[in-house]
Amino acid sequence: MGEIILEVSHLTYSYENAHEGEALHDVSVSVSKREKIAIIGSNGAGKSTFFLNLNGVLTPREGAVIYRGKPVGRGKKELNSLRKNVGIVFQEADNQIIASTVFQEVSFGPMNLKLPREEVTERVEQALAYMNIESLKDRAPHYLSGGEKKRVTIADILAMKPEIIIFDEPTASLDPVNAAILEEVLEKLEKEGSTILISTHDIDFAYRWAGRLLVFADGEIIADGAPVDIFRNDEAVERARLKKPALFRMAELLQRKGLLRQDCYPKTVEELEAEL
Amino acid sequence: MREQKHKNSGYHRHSHGEGHLSIDYYAYMSGMRSWNPDFKIISAALFLICVIAMDSMAVSALVLVTMAGLVVIKGQLGILRYFKLMLLPFIFILLSSIAIAFDFSLQPKGEYCIFLGFFYVSATRASLLETAGLVLKAFSSVSCLYLITLTTPMGEVVGFFGRIHCPKLLTELMYMIYRFIFILLDAQRRMAIAARSRLGYTDFKTSLFSFGRIFSNLLVISFKRANAYYDAMEARCYDGELNFLEEDKPVSAGLILAALLYGAALMVLWYTVGR
Repeated sequence: MGEIILEVSHLTYSYENAHEGEALHDVSVSVSKREKIAIIGSNGAGKSTFFLNLNGVLTPREGAVIYRGKPVGRGKKELNSLRKNVGIVFQEADNQIIASTVFQEVSFGPMNLKLPREEVTERVEQALAYMNIESLKDRAPHYLSGGEKKRVTIADILAMKPEIIIFDEPTASLDPVNAAILEEVLEKLEKEGSTILISTHDIDFAYRWAGRLLVFADGEIIADGAPVDIFRNDEAVERARLKKPALFRMAELLQRKGLLRQDCYPKTVEELEAEL
Repeated sequence: MREQKHKNSGYHRHSHGEGHLSIDYYAYMSGMRSWNPDFKIISAALFLICVIAMDSMAVSALVLVTMAGLVVIKGQLGILRYFKLMLLPFIFILLSSIAIAFDFSLQPKGEYCIFLGFFYVSATRASLLETAGLVLKAFSSVSCLYLITLTTPMGEVVGFFGRIHCPKLLTELMYMIYRFIFILLDAQRRMAIAARSRLGYTDFKTSLFSFGRIFSNLLVISFKRANAYYDAMEARCYDGELNFLEEDKPVSAGLILAALLYGAALMVLWYTVGR
């Protein structure tokens, strides 16, 4: 485990006009460098609210967000440094894209960091190249397809060079081709040492990809650990109304039939084949 | 090739068929897109002033032909599209020119005169000439403005306003309004399709009802969207100022020279031919 970058301690948050009480209740978690964390839980479990708190857009009612050992206050400078280092790729691309060309859109973040012009240009070009969308540079966002928009929103965040990148349900509106492109990008980011948090309803993806799962239910984290451990914990699975991943169930079945050695949980079909 | 690109431009393709929004699309696809926007806007504005100030048919005709030629050939717009776009102002110009060219009276007068039942429609040579000059001037001015709108996307035009020190509040509003037009249009289109699929437009009464519902919903959506937007902007360190980096598009000396020469040519034409 690497050094701890981001910590959340006893965070409680409630929306001003909410009747349902707290959106997040006493959430504590710490994120280490290079971790790959998948966040699962049903709609309205508090995942998006959690993200907005991590990035400083929402301020916790109680508890604190601690970035590199320092609790983040409410001052503009502190918040901006948190926002610079924790980037969110929002679920709806159309709620994120603001400029009228792709180039300008990606430049928005670095410009807000008050970087010199040359550096902004360089970062934008790097981010566009990273997402393989240099050819869309001069296009207007309203003439892009859904997959292209998603890539633009990822480039948006990459250009700010955050330490932690949060993806809020990135695969929700993507077709299989674009989802595969997204996974490639995730792999590339991972190799370069990024820390990644992803919320998803795709349980098979979470099982395959994540090194750690956070399970949200009713504004609380009810389970936190390695995917295999969590899916073996029937109580947590029940409480969060999770479905077990297909490959996990397959492994359980094969173990019961004596075809697979105990405590062996392959994450991909290829791994399973190698084991059999 | 252009048609092909048009089709590939994603799921918005049906919303800019040949409607008013196609102008926006043409601007992005224009062959003159790479020209410096400031150069395009300033020179088009100067030629526009020339047309109006010189008030000469020869100058108007020359400007009309060159501006149309530039957009159609250099901007690769296609002559048919240009004519279609010119049809829009044509109707206004036609109606107003009729009123100027012809006189209606109970007595016959003028050089040309037609008796229509109980009144005369008459025109003089001078009034016809004047109208022709006016029509030409109007079209010529429109062609100058089209040079801007059909080759320069809105974002670049707003950028120009920013550089000439238009108040930031205005330019930022322009950026936002421009972006939101498309977002709200898209939302409206989705709701209209959903309403249509549930027989929301079967007769006049239901159509009115659906229309009203969609627009009140649109208001709610824009509030929600505005909140989501603000969160996303804050997440990227927004601190009250919309800052985008605009790519430099250098002006070539050749183009400036060409524009100056062209201006000089207009001057010469004005002096020699006059009206």
